[in-house]
Amino acid sequence: MPVVHEHGERMKRFKNKGKDTATLRRQRVEVNIELRKAKKDEQILKRRSISIVSLEKSPSPEEKNVIVPLSLEEIVEAVNGSNTSLQLQATQATRRILSRQKDPPLNQIIELGIIPRLVEFLSRADNAALQFEAAWALTNIASGTSEHTRAVVEGGAIPAFISLLSSPHMHISEQSVWALGNIAGDGPLYRDALINCNVIPPLLALVSPVTPVGFLRNITWTLSNLCRNKNPHPPLEAVRQLLPVITCLLEHEDKDVVSDSCWAVSYLTDGSNDRIQIVVDTGILPRLVELMGSPEMIVMTPALRAIGNVVTGTDEQTQAAIDAGVLAVLPLLLRHTKPAIQKEAAWALSNIAAGPCQQIQQLITCGLLPPLVELLDKGDFKAQKEAVWAVANMTTGGTVEQVVELVRSGVLKPLLNLLLSKDSKTILVILDSISNLFLAAEKLGETERLCLLVEELDGLEKIEALQTHDNNMVYRAALNIIEKYFSGEETPDLQPGTDEDGLYNFSVEKRDFNF
Amino acid sequence: MWAAFLGPVFAPDFLCRIPFRVLRARVLLLVASDVDALCACKILQALFQCDHVQYTLVPVSGWQELETAFLEHKDQFKYFVFINCGANVDLLEILQPEEDTYFFVCDSHRPINIVNVYNETQIKLLVKQDDDLDVPAYDDIFRDEEDEEEDSENESDGSEPSDKRRRFEESAMVMFDLAWIMSKDLNDMLWWAIVGLTDQWVQDKITQMKYVTDIGILQRHVSRHNHRNEDEENSLSIDCMRIAFEYDLRLALYQHWSLYESLCNTSYTSANLKLWSVQGQKRLQEFLADMGLPLKQVKQKFNSMDISLKENLREMIEESANKFGMRDLRVQTFSIHFGFKNKFLASDIVYATASLMESIEKEGPETTNFIKALDSLSRGNLDKLHQGLDLAKKQLRAIQQTVASCICTNLVISQGPFLYCSLMEGTPDVKLFSKPVSLCLLSKYLLKSFVCSTKNKRCKLLPLVMAAPMDVEQGTVIMVGIPPETESSDKKNFFGRAFEKAADSTNSRTLHNHFDMSIIELKTEDRSKFLDALISLLS
Repeated sequence: MPVVHEHGERMKRFKNKGKDTATLRRQRVEVNIELRKAKKDEQILKRRSISIVSLEKSPSPEEKNVIVPLSLEEIVEAVNGSNTSLQLQATQATRRILSRQKDPPLNQIIELGIIPRLVEFLSRADNAALQFEAAWALTNIASGTSEHTRAVVEGGAIPAFISLLSSPHMHISEQSVWALGNIAGDGPLYRDALINCNVIPPLLALVSPVTPVGFLRNITWTLSNLCRNKNPHPPLEAVRQLLPVITCLLEHEDKDVVSDSCWAVSYLTDGSNDRIQIVVDTGILPRLVELMGSPEMIVMTPALRAIGNVVTGTDEQTQAAIDAGVLAVLPLLLRHTKPAIQKEAAWALSNIAAGPCQQIQQLITCGLLPPLVELLDKGDFKAQKEAVWAVANMTTGGTVEQVVELVRSGVLKPLLNLLLSKDSKTILVILDSISNLFLAAEKLGETERLCLLVEELDGLEKIEALQTHDNNMVYRAALNIIEKYFSGEETPDLQPGTDEDGLYNFSVEKRDFNF
Repeated sequence: MWAAFLGPVFAPDFLCRIPFRVLRARVLLLVASDVDALCACKILQALFQCDHVQYTLVPVSGWQELETAFLEHKDQFKYFVFINCGANVDLLEILQPEEDTYFFVCDSHRPINIVNVYNETQIKLLVKQDDDLDVPAYDDIFRDEEDEEEDSENESDGSEPSDKRRRFEESAMVMFDLAWIMSKDLNDMLWWAIVGLTDQWVQDKITQMKYVTDIGILQRHVSRHNHRNEDEENSLSIDCMRIAFEYDLRLALYQHWSLYESLCNTSYTSANLKLWSVQGQKRLQEFLADMGLPLKQVKQKFNSMDISLKENLREMIEESANKFGMRDLRVQTFSIHFGFKNKFLASDIVYATASLMESIEKEGPETTNFIKALDSLSRGNLDKLHQGLDLAKKQLRAIQQTVASCICTNLVISQGPFLYCSLMEGTPDVKLFSKPVSLCLLSKYLLKSFVCSTKNKRCKLLPLVMAAPMDVEQGTVIMVGIPPETESSDKKNFFGRAFEKAADSTNSRTLHNHFDMSIIELKTEDRSKFLDALISLLS
């Protein structure tokens, strides 16, 4: 039958679309990350513009011993000169200018042309103070825009900083870690340049049980930047080197260390299935799931992100996450007070719901339907959108029993309410879900009951209203449902009793199918 | 006042975090001319420096200068910090600031004007009445509100870490190098806190109880903090500084003088031995003999005394002092070492700094003394410090001689409700006592000695009003009132209000220009009617 066929096509398309949306969703997340990043940058800028800069001279002249106020010309002269103590003074003055709160004059300092000289100072093993000041100054230059970072890299800083990782002075080594973090954070190009210069082994060597926690935070952040960014992802070999240490850091007691480690894992899992597989193979999923339940937002958020990425993978990878206990934690997160957490949790749930019916069954057994319905009903809109996807995926891939279970848990009312949303995409997904529900009802011979139910919940008028929707696809989908199920005549397609499954004889099912 | 700024610094994990936020706008520091104020100022400067807060410092010796300074700067500044001035008048009434101007008042002068206490928008008092320790944290006041919002957001939300990070001056990381620099700064700040406290004690502005309590608090920080510097490198370096708790003699400047001079010019020993009399001088000889110290050695510069004699000197002196009724000759205090050679007691610094500030040797502009005194508090300014010590010796000698002559010529007379002493023009060193801190010191010493010398029990319980010539050409005197010298004294001074009332009721031409309201200037001709009014007021 053409209609059925069309339905089959639709379903198939829908399935494919479902698969597509896995990538689509990831892109959405990326956009969000971009936005978050932009917000963060804005915050940093804001912080810069708030605060106060230089010290006014107090009347007491002895203060001069503490701060050496040099003009930019004096700095250039001293840095290029051969007097070591003047070099130190000038480098320190540069560092001070660059570390003041407000508007550090990065461009001006770069234009002085002293970067190559500062890089040279990095190798003055006989003068730790000079090394340190130069490292700090270069760190702050590299913290600017890509152009600023490029100035530092082109000054030859990468090999110099990498060799300073092994400095006997911890503070110098730490400052170098920081600088390298800034360079790695610039993007895939410099990240891979660092990796090619063999940054990873000396960096990993700094992680030890006696590393002070402040230092460890810096190292972890830099490691996370080495995992960060796509197009391309970091080389697989590098990832294999990094993962064992990141796995260890995930067990650390400091929440900042754990947070950045989770972010690192989230970057590594944000890719093709073979990249996800490398992470799954380390066996850290149970730890990540545990961290998803952390009361610390800075830990919970990246752990959820990482697990969310994993369940975009193959059925086996998703199963690994389920086996790690993700379904026990998700209800809490779906009910979290922060909309962002609700949304990410629903996103993860929708991807699990896109799996085979065994996984859908686990989802039902673990009690995910009530929080899902709550979220559809009262959640943040972005979270509701993800929840709609979860419903759609279940109605697509679930067994008739599972779909019945979904309807019984009260999904219909909030789902129909969301037809009032302004978002065409969401409306389409809901209409598809409704079609799927009718398909299941048809199989059970309960089309009429479902029609009644939809009418009782004011769903019919909402669907009817959508026939005048601007979006052609919405209009057609709505029209299709109306014509098929609400045209006043009993649908001839309906063939009660043709169902092969004996469980669904009408008498039993009437009780079961108690909408 | 130290606690107002340093209290919040002493968080347990201080070295791991920088406690202060950045104040957004430039700050004008108005600093009174006393040692405690200078110390608080040094601490605040150091903190501001850590935080990159821009400030301008203006020394103010009295209300007139304060008003002028405010008027001159009110257009450029919105934030004013008052150090040891401002609490005891209605600041808003006097200065008429714009609504977006804020005053931070850190002042030990009492009583606090009630309007200042209850103004919560424009005036922040950094010291609570009667309890210097229970103060609002510097952080609470100088914190940047927007900064705070950001922080709470950053902490609670799980936004992705930034891809690049600039290292700010106040990084929260544990940097050994930086921590060490901070520790040096902190030691400086601790030392200023100690000197400020000692100043209050030397000036007799706080009770013994408060002194001992605060010394205890500071001692904990000193011992914790100076432990760090005990590695060999530091203890040997010439510019290293080390603070140590001492149970030392309360003999003024004795390590930079001779023991004999110090005994003669310290108020405590001089009053107790009654050194202004022949019998007193005899008692001093007996006292020295009791200790078994040869006169030649005692009159020698302390530095040149036989080492063998110096070994158990403190114990020996204490033992003999007990026999002569001086049971409190040893006190809890702190010393500071600069390298090997230079060691100073906290009180040495107080005397030296105060003398520099009130030096009567005219040189340069008005602020010269202030800046010199401020500089003498910085480490490594040993020449200024030694200059101050020399001035302090002169001052203490002058005080002692003046006290002796006042008592021997019966210049201290009972006026009924108070004792009164007036220095005549032409008295030796009288110019020195035209300065408020010196005059107060003289008054305290005189009252102590008088209480020891008089047999009149009623007189022992009286406060003292003292007058000295101020400006001969203008025909003015400077007058100070101090509370009675009793053991239970809470050091409260009620003369401020009394002076105001006496002046009002007699239309005396007075100038209440000092932050300490119990110091006034008045026309010499109006003195007798003013005193009459004061007597009837207090009777």
